[in-house]
Amino acid sequence: MFELLFIPPLFILVFSFFNTQKTKKILPFISALILIPALMLLFQQEKFYWHQYIHIDSLAKYILLLSYIVGIGVTLALESLQKHVSISIQEYKRFYRFFATFWIGMILSITANSMGLFWVGLELATLSTVYMIKTNHTQFASKEAWNYMIVGTIAISLILFGIILIYAAAKPVLGEEAMLFTQLQSAIHTMNAPYLFEIGFAFVAVGSFIKMGFFPMNLWLANIERASHYPVAALFSGILESAIMTGFFRFSLLAKSINESHLIGFTYIYALFTLFIVAFLIYRVKDFMRLFSLSGIEHMVLIAIFWVSGGYFAALLHFGAHALLKPALFISTGILESKGKYHIAGALRGFQGYKGKLFALLVALFILAIIALPPSPIFFSEIFGFSAMVEMAKKSHHLLLMFTAITFMLFLLAIIFYKFVDIYQQMKYSGSEEEKNVYSSDIAALIIFAVAVMILLANFKTLQTIV
Amino acid sequence: MGNFFIGLFLSTLITAILTTRLYRLFVWYGLNSIFLGTAAIIIGSNIADTAMIVSGSIAIILKGFFIPYVLKYFSKKFDTERNIQPSIKIQYSILLIPAILVFTFYLVDPIFHAYNKNYISLSIASLFLALVLMIEHKAIFPKIIGFLIIENALFLLAMSATQGMPMLIELGIFFDLLMAIIIINLLLTKEVRHV
Repeated sequence: MFELLFIPPLFILVFSFFNTQKTKKILPFISALILIPALMLLFQQEKFYWHQYIHIDSLAKYILLLSYIVGIGVTLALESLQKHVSISIQEYKRFYRFFATFWIGMILSITANSMGLFWVGLELATLSTVYMIKTNHTQFASKEAWNYMIVGTIAISLILFGIILIYAAAKPVLGEEAMLFTQLQSAIHTMNAPYLFEIGFAFVAVGSFIKMGFFPMNLWLANIERASHYPVAALFSGILESAIMTGFFRFSLLAKSINESHLIGFTYIYALFTLFIVAFLIYRVKDFMRLFSLSGIEHMVLIAIFWVSGGYFAALLHFGAHALLKPALFISTGILESKGKYHIAGALRGFQGYKGKLFALLVALFILAIIALPPSPIFFSEIFGFSAMVEMAKKSHHLLLMFTAITFMLFLLAIIFYKFVDIYQQMKYSGSEEEKNVYSSDIAALIIFAVAVMILLANFKTLQTIV
Repeated sequence: MGNFFIGLFLSTLITAILTTRLYRLFVWYGLNSIFLGTAAIIIGSNIADTAMIVSGSIAIILKGFFIPYVLKYFSKKFDTERNIQPSIKIQYSILLIPAILVFTFYLVDPIFHAYNKNYISLSIASLFLALVLMIEHKAIFPKIIGFLIIENALFLLAMSATQGMPMLIELGIFFDLLMAIIIINLLLTKEVRHV
């Protein structure tokens, strides 16, 4: 069953060597094939595959399903890529090639039980993203591809450094099995090297945070998503950040068993500082791509905080909602900014006909959903998350401190909310009308994401059983 | 004997930080990898670990000879500037490098395993020194070398602190290194000299 997951990406890899003009229509169906093994996995019991290196638990199943939906949506949006931006046939083929490589790496890292395999998948995905950025033929994009290559590989190397230190801490007790998450989780209290483990976790956390664009790398991510074509940004926010977050989930569960107060202090200080910077960066933003990528950082901060506070359900709900809404917004950005015009004012005006009206409605709903207006899943997850934070503080002597932190966070979220509403009004009511084209594949992709968000809203009970 | 080669590893790294010529930098990187591979072979034969001996030999061939040669070929092909001046002055580097070394020894002080404490601190120090090498140059090739030296520091940590990683992971790391070189080849164009 697990082997079947790799068939669609391999097909896409093979098809990228043929004439994509002819095969373009088939590719979304091929990527949709992946839903069959994914759904079969969903309704199976837990299993170990392949010498304990791969272990698909319910968390991995959930994240796999999310990333598949994003993958299918992006393959749909790739169909009309040539109509929105200028890209040569050769580059287009390469885009598909590296997209397939990226997908293989992603599946490996999400399902890995061995820390090393998780890292190998992540590195494969990172390196293939580098070339996907390069498919945009501008000076800016090639400079940003180098930036991504250097900063991304440093971040990944820090993660591997931490993994080796954790392995070194656990090896005297577990031997060769110290690489496996499940074994580590069960034998964490027999470990007699907590200090070494915590150094390792600090390296892993800093590496993951750099990769997700936390302080001091906020603008780095925004520039990269600005420079690349819009499907790259969608993949980045929907799948790559999810895979890194998966790693952070698993490692922070380990760190929680070792020393909870250290973990919480470290994550809170780092995340709140990031949120403070990002809120003001969002306030002075001037184009869609940077707006959405900075808002992605904000959501990652919230997910990390909810997860370490013990609000697992809130974190997973927020995670799922973000992984579905953000790629949809990035794909619609490609249409809003068609013909290379970046202005925000009047972006939602000038859509003619049935498709255009539907598109404008969907984008408006997505923008209002991403800033947590009810009944968006993000609204519920924030309510549950803040209540989990208060619950956690009740058990310690830091209730007042926690209330201060929550007030501070709400103040920063209010700034972001104000900016988004302001931008929405500019899109809708100011600026001049221009003719913009919407294609069926874009609409189909957006509808897939909208339906997936609806399904997510209907399945709170299932999410509560994941962790 | 392993200690001796690890010392040489660190000395070549420090020399690479202070160097001002591109091809000399490739030579130092190659020597750095050769000393690392030799240390791996010696430590591996001491604890009778075949996997470590194999990965040490692969490191010598791949990182010691193949990658420096490929990078030299790229730099000729794209006609890069061979005079690379560090933006951190040499007198400040001389102060900074020992400070990093002392700091990492201080960092690992609370660890209880007396056997491999120094190796852990040395590899964390090499990570930071490689970051210094990346920071102090504006040209692209020293940054690539810095990334490759970070990989070497990872290798040093893996072989000394843990007495060898699982073979599958080692192979995965080598594979990713090759992938990185391919990507670098695709990224290098005439117009990109500085990032």
